[in-house]
Amino acid sequence: MRKNKLSNAIILVGLAILFILAPLLYPNQSVPFQMMAYMALAQGINLLYGFTGYLPFGYVGFFGSGAYGVSVLVLLLHWSVIPAVIGGGLVAVAVALLLSPLLRLSGAYFSIGSLAASEIVYYIVSNPNMQNITQGPYGVNLAGVYAPNTSYYAMLVILLIFTAVVMYVKNSTFGMSLLAIKEDPVSAAMCGVNVVRNRVVIWLASAFAAGLAGAVYGWYVSVFYPSSVFDLTISIFAIVFTLFGGGGTVLGPIVGTIVLYGLYNTIGVSSPQYFQLIYGLLIVVLVMFLPQGLTSLLKRRGINVP
Amino acid sequence: MQSRFRKGALWAVATLAGGMLLAGCGTAATPAPAPAKTKSTAAEVSIGTLYASTGSFATSSMPEYQGLQFWINQVNAAGGTYVKAAGRKEKIRLVSYNDQSSAQTATSLYNQLITVNHVNLLVADFGSVLTSVAVPIAQEHKQLLFDQSGTGTTFFTPNNPYIVLTSLPTSALWPTSLANYLINSHYKKVAIVYCENDFDQSQDQTLTKLLAKAGITPTYNNAVPTSTSSYTVILHNMAATHPQAVIELGYPNNDISFMQALQSSGSTFPLTFTIFPGQLPSLFEKNFGLKGLNNMFTYPAPPLISVSGVNYGMSLGQFEQAFKKQTGSSPNFLNVAGYNTGLILQKTLATATSLSQKSLRQAVSGFSGTITTLDGKFQINSQGAQVGETLPVGQFTVAKGKLNVNIKG
Repeated sequence: MRKNKLSNAIILVGLAILFILAPLLYPNQSVPFQMMAYMALAQGINLLYGFTGYLPFGYVGFFGSGAYGVSVLVLLLHWSVIPAVIGGGLVAVAVALLLSPLLRLSGAYFSIGSLAASEIVYYIVSNPNMQNITQGPYGVNLAGVYAPNTSYYAMLVILLIFTAVVMYVKNSTFGMSLLAIKEDPVSAAMCGVNVVRNRVVIWLASAFAAGLAGAVYGWYVSVFYPSSVFDLTISIFAIVFTLFGGGGTVLGPIVGTIVLYGLYNTIGVSSPQYFQLIYGLLIVVLVMFLPQGLTSLLKRRGINVP
Repeated sequence: MQSRFRKGALWAVATLAGGMLLAGCGTAATPAPAPAKTKSTAAEVSIGTLYASTGSFATSSMPEYQGLQFWINQVNAAGGTYVKAAGRKEKIRLVSYNDQSSAQTATSLYNQLITVNHVNLLVADFGSVLTSVAVPIAQEHKQLLFDQSGTGTTFFTPNNPYIVLTSLPTSALWPTSLANYLINSHYKKVAIVYCENDFDQSQDQTLTKLLAKAGITPTYNNAVPTSTSSYTVILHNMAATHPQAVIELGYPNNDISFMQALQSSGSTFPLTFTIFPGQLPSLFEKNFGLKGLNNMFTYPAPPLISVSGVNYGMSLGQFEQAFKKQTGSSPNFLNVAGYNTGLILQKTLATATSLSQKSLRQAVSGFSGTITTLDGKFQINSQGAQVGETLPVGQFTVAKGKLNVNIKG
């Protein structure tokens, strides 16, 4: 237990040092910022997929809701930006609450259902009739609150909070109950686990992570369109990073994001065709030989992975 | 045997991942045509831009990028362009990255061009979505953004002097000529369908506002998602209102889908208008043939029409000839737009007394309204939005197996 606490503390401190130093060592702040954003999203997916087995293809719906939440609160209700960011996260939670009946589905049905739900949210936000609230298809300009340095550190705080949440869930009885539900919900219910409540709680927590990440992303870029923040590739990247590193662990999404986002920035931009080839090959190899992600390499050798 | 293979594969993945981890930390994207150095030397001016070779904007971004590259090749072949701040001719070095039509990737890459490559001049990628993320970054770093074709209404604000729209008027200005033509030609029953995006909705708003002033209320005016690929039902709904004029406002893919529905339904209207056949005529000719384009109304743009009074850069004829010689293909409007951006950069460098971004912006304001290129008159308002160019309305006709366009207004 003590060993776990120590390794968790090392991970949190390590992440903080890495991302505090990154902009000092490398002037292009956007690279570490986006890496943090994807890491936070991967941890959000980890909460849901790693502990319950639900894989949300439409996870970007919460990210976009958070980005539009902050814009509405700042532009329409004139909130100051930090409360608006928290409000953006809560907007995503409200959307998740509305969509919670999706949890009645499972497997591929849930994944496709969540994808359809995110498209619905996207079309509502970008609808011309919503122009007075979301600006519809015109896009949002938050230039008045644009603060790249502050929003950079806000993203770091969100990443650290949700990494800590994953640590808590992994080592708590609540996390154990989620794993029991993942294995066999009927048996878990018979043992006294409140299946519906626990699933909904982790669903909302996962949506809150994406909502906050989306809100800070919206604040950081400050000018964006519905198509930019509801872009399906955001979901795909976050899911692949989680699966690559290993769901159900604290370290898996972090390692997955560093490796794959690093790869994307190294060759993905200059030679996208080679990147896609390598990316595809990596995923095939992963699915065939390491379905539990990279961290399972260590687990197989008896090494405890936080 | 199987276990040994599996073990080998696991180590291969681990080694590859480790290598990528090392490679990924602390490095960023490499410029596409890998420039040798990242900082400008005294004898050259660096221009940074993005392009999209894949994704939804590739078909528009690549020709625009090709137009800019054409200008750079022309300038460098002539020994460089005159830079007033240096008092001599200097060569141009292009630093470019592939954003793959992703706004997220573009955010990092614009930052890269400013903070790592320290380019002298920053040029945006095609369209509003890929330009949008550059606007606050350029403003924050006090770097003037040469916006080629991002006509988004939210970009141009009184407190942001660091943006200039070069090759298109803001989208809200586009339908002025169309509205005037409809009013003057006494079209009373107008049906409009437009896509849910900034570019098309702002045109719809301007058009309906101008029509309303003339007492015309559209018989049909509805939005459809930009991803719409089947217009059959929509077309029947429009036809049910018995319009004299049917207007479809969309991107090239929407225009193609709309015209396909029009052809298959057999519906005809006295006036049918779509935006892009006038800008990408060869694409539409390939899809619909000459017969399919006959009588269609559109916004004709160079090289389909020739701008008169060109006093800066090549004339249309010279451009078509030189472009074909260099690239082996005939130019389209987006090639013209990219080349036109180059001309604006050239004039800026020839006018600015220093390469500071404020001085560059002052130079652009100084020559605004004085030059006419093959793309039209270059004139910006106080917020940097292009207001000099206008898009006329034209109608395609086919004579002797050739596509012609008659300017109507």
